[in-house]
Amino acid sequence: MSHPVKGCGIGLRFQHIDTIVDSNQPIPWLEILTDNYLLPGSVQQDYLFEIAEHYPLTFHGVGMSLGSTDPLDTEYVSRVKALVERVNPAWVSDHLCWTSAHGVVTHDLIPLPYTEETIRHVSQRISQVQDSLERRLVIENVSSYLQYQQSAMSEWDFLCAVVEAADCDILLDVNNIYVSACNHDFDPLAYLNAIPVQRVREIHLAGYEDRGTHLLDTHGYPVSDAVWALYAQAIQRFGAVPTLIEWDNNVPELPVLLAEAAKAAEVQARVLA
Amino acid sequence: MSLPELQHHFITAIFNRDQRDAAALLVKSHGKLDAAQRVGIYRNSVHGILWQYLESLYPVCQQLLGAEFFEAASDCYVDQQPPTRPFLAEYGAGFADFLAAHPALQQMLWIADVARLEWARHQAWNAVNQAAADFSQLANVDAAQQARLVLVLPASAQLLTSAYAIHQVWLAHQPEDSPEKVALEQLELHQTQRVLVWRAGRRLHQVLLDEATWAFLTAIQQANRLPDLAERFQAQLPALLMTAVQRGWILSFTVL
Ligand SMILES: [Fe+2]
Repeated sequence: MSHPVKGCGIGLRFQHIDTIVDSNQPIPWLEILTDNYLLPGSVQQDYLFEIAEHYPLTFHGVGMSLGSTDPLDTEYVSRVKALVERVNPAWVSDHLCWTSAHGVVTHDLIPLPYTEETIRHVSQRISQVQDSLERRLVIENVSSYLQYQQSAMSEWDFLCAVVEAADCDILLDVNNIYVSACNHDFDPLAYLNAIPVQRVREIHLAGYEDRGTHLLDTHGYPVSDAVWALYAQAIQRFGAVPTLIEWDNNVPELPVLLAEAAKAAEVQARVLA
Repeated sequence: MSLPELQHHFITAIFNRDQRDAAALLVKSHGKLDAAQRVGIYRNSVHGILWQYLESLYPVCQQLLGAEFFEAASDCYVDQQPPTRPFLAEYGAGFADFLAAHPALQQMLWIADVARLEWARHQAWNAVNQAAADFSQLANVDAAQQARLVLVLPASAQLLTSAYAIHQVWLAHQPEDSPEKVALEQLELHQTQRVLVWRAGRRLHQVLLDEATWAFLTAIQQANRLPDLAERFQAQLPALLMTAVQRGWILSFTVL
């Protein structure tokens, strides 16, 4: 059965699995990186099934490659589907980007050019995945470090057009908005204000690294003050949206992650009071 | 330019440093970075992700080669053999052969064998879960069935042999508090070692095998029938069989 996802959770990381399995932690919900659990019958799935009995879960993947012009990887989609049917997460998300092309897989999130052609292509792919999974998909905005010459609209107009055409939901990564806004010199509030409120299912928060020439979305630091401020504005607009702390590099002890999630819950309580 | 063409230029630049300029033509220069530098961020990011992954797979090789050499080797390997599947855990199988062919490592071929051991551990960890063996039915097998009886190793079982002391080299690079820790200076590198890696539940095991046990388990892996095993191992068979069953090296049996 699926537990409802509410409040502020954390991304499940290998370092913490034993602690989380062995002791009942006060965690509102957990998000798994779907790609790490796609080996059928593996010990990883074994852990996941155990965790699913105790915590509400969401699935977050990188391998769908929604923006790729290669054929959809049906083996990947069917493995995700089998796991979704077994665990029944609250929802399934992936990114508005491409990760593979011409038979090569980067395992990284590469932005798309914002054009009408891309809107048609990616929304069709999202629909195809939604039909296969028999579920709505939730798609996330990525951080970016470049703008294509041929892009003909803003990132938020592109995102809105895609979700409208595919009729899917949004995972709004507030840190990614901030990182891209700094890297490409746009107003992050203009981004927030363009997003349709009813489609936002989840918010991500993470820490970036300032490289001097650009901000890099490393998920290796605490959430920055500027991103906390933007998050408060997001909560003002979108309400008490379930929020997740992502931390992938220099992963700290579990209490540090939980304190970060508690901080997000405090921001929600303060803004919505 | 169409989306497939754009992705082609970009993916080529990510896995070939010399192709950056063609992709840079697609990208705006602005702020503190020009277009080529922006493409470079993505090349570095992809290589960084895959290097971190290879480092997690090959931690002992990383220690043996040093962080700098390992990163350069990883960079080169990723360009030569980029991932082709979305399942990251499948990536890196060819790293041992890549090291064995590396010009700088021709006097240190044992490092490639250590990489094979680390890949075997990765394979064993990712193998399917299987129910514990039940040998009580073995008593009901009649003589005719015995002639067609085949023993089965766990799906996680990985048998390796090397002309070098790979098991001890591996142990020498475990944390200080690990029980079987060996000092690298004390081991004799040039000795044939036969190693079995397997997974039992949520634990990975790695043991050194003697020649007879290694031959016995290899024969089982090759689906030799019981009479063939009896003929080959003669009086040794009962003891070999008992140890293998007790240690969990034999998962089950089938009658063909
Ligand atoms: Fe995110």
